[in-house]
Amino acid sequence: MQKMRRRGVAPAIALGFALATTGQAAPQTSTPKPPAVDDWTAVGKLPDLTGVWELTFGGGGGGRGAAGRGAAAGRGALPQGPQLTPAAAAKRKELQSVPREDNQTANCLPPGMPGIMGQPYPMEFLLTPGLVTIVIEAYTQVRHIYTDGRALPADPDLKFHGTSVGRWEGDTLVAETVGFSPLTEIAANVPHGDKMRIVERFRLTDPTTMTIETTVTDPDVLTAPYTTTRTLKRHRTWTIAEYICEENNRNFVDQNGKAGVNLNQAGPAKKEQ
Amino acid sequence: MQRHQFAPMLAAILVSITAAGAGVSAHHSFAPFDMGAEKTISGTVKQFDWTNPHTWIWVNVSDGKGGVETWAIEGMSPNFLGRRGWTKSSLKPGDKISLVIRPLRDGSKGGMFVRATLADGKVLLPTGDPTEP
Repeated sequence: MQKMRRRGVAPAIALGFALATTGQAAPQTSTPKPPAVDDWTAVGKLPDLTGVWELTFGGGGGGRGAAGRGAAAGRGALPQGPQLTPAAAAKRKELQSVPREDNQTANCLPPGMPGIMGQPYPMEFLLTPGLVTIVIEAYTQVRHIYTDGRALPADPDLKFHGTSVGRWEGDTLVAETVGFSPLTEIAANVPHGDKMRIVERFRLTDPTTMTIETTVTDPDVLTAPYTTTRTLKRHRTWTIAEYICEENNRNFVDQNGKAGVNLNQAGPAKKEQ
Repeated sequence: MQRHQFAPMLAAILVSITAAGAGVSAHHSFAPFDMGAEKTISGTVKQFDWTNPHTWIWVNVSDGKGGVETWAIEGMSPNFLGRRGWTKSSLKPGDKISLVIRPLRDGSKGGMFVRATLADGKVLLPTGDPTEP
């Protein structure tokens, strides 16, 4: 990067175009072939994860959820929380020493992974050739898990949901995800490191029940894999509803972590005519 | 009596929803609200915002001096409530209503919804089991 700056902007731009056209932005290295009838037939033989699912209350926390549970009860230590390296534990202590009343989700910023998978709103799973898509109602989010055999990117862009690839191990969809935005966290007051990796195992335990076992590894932050299991129930008649967080959000948190409520005006926040 | 029946239920709901991975509201903390307090206000519905990320009930309440003040009560999202029996017409302007709320700590005329009782005695709760198998 230093080198590019010395050489000037134009070569850097040219390099940017070159990277874009050689697949840096999308992790696959070859053009996927269009799905054929056989590919759709193969999808029909996969375990049926399709439809709308919602966490069962009490079905397990994890990520933001587990942390929220500890914080809500006013406890300092998480009974089954992540096991932290000394540096990460010191960081958490430092963050806790200046208690924040809320986080940026109050301002409608989505939590990203892994917290987005622990919301009290449903998620719709779509299976198509080479891809599992999760439509997440909370904050109107979407995840793509590529099951077409592509590799994880070696140098991924940092995203709220990272970049995911998946494979089927018997009746279990195993998804691996890397490359997370620094704005996401493993649990409350536990920021992740550059090497965080999340493995999720999606499996039907009966026709209306799915478990998602989520294992977070992060050599800079965790001394042991942090595994949580969530249980979801399928709701065949449900559809995913609209959730535009900015529609009428009156909650906020300021840069010091102070939470508040805006009661300025009755009705959804409309522009003055 | 009603209060005693309801308190353990609300506690159970709060615990269970929190355990599921987020606060009742899904997207913000309870910090601005006095979760240990209950306040009852009675008045007339001015407006019901069936909006994300929260519903808001705007209620005109007598100030006891011949005037009216408007209170704003934050509830669960339409997505959550809509799967539990509520509709955008559950409350209409002009409805007489009695509301139990967790008041805002700063004394502003607002709070978090606990339950509402309408003129015909119908009680609206913020949660419950989804209405579909």
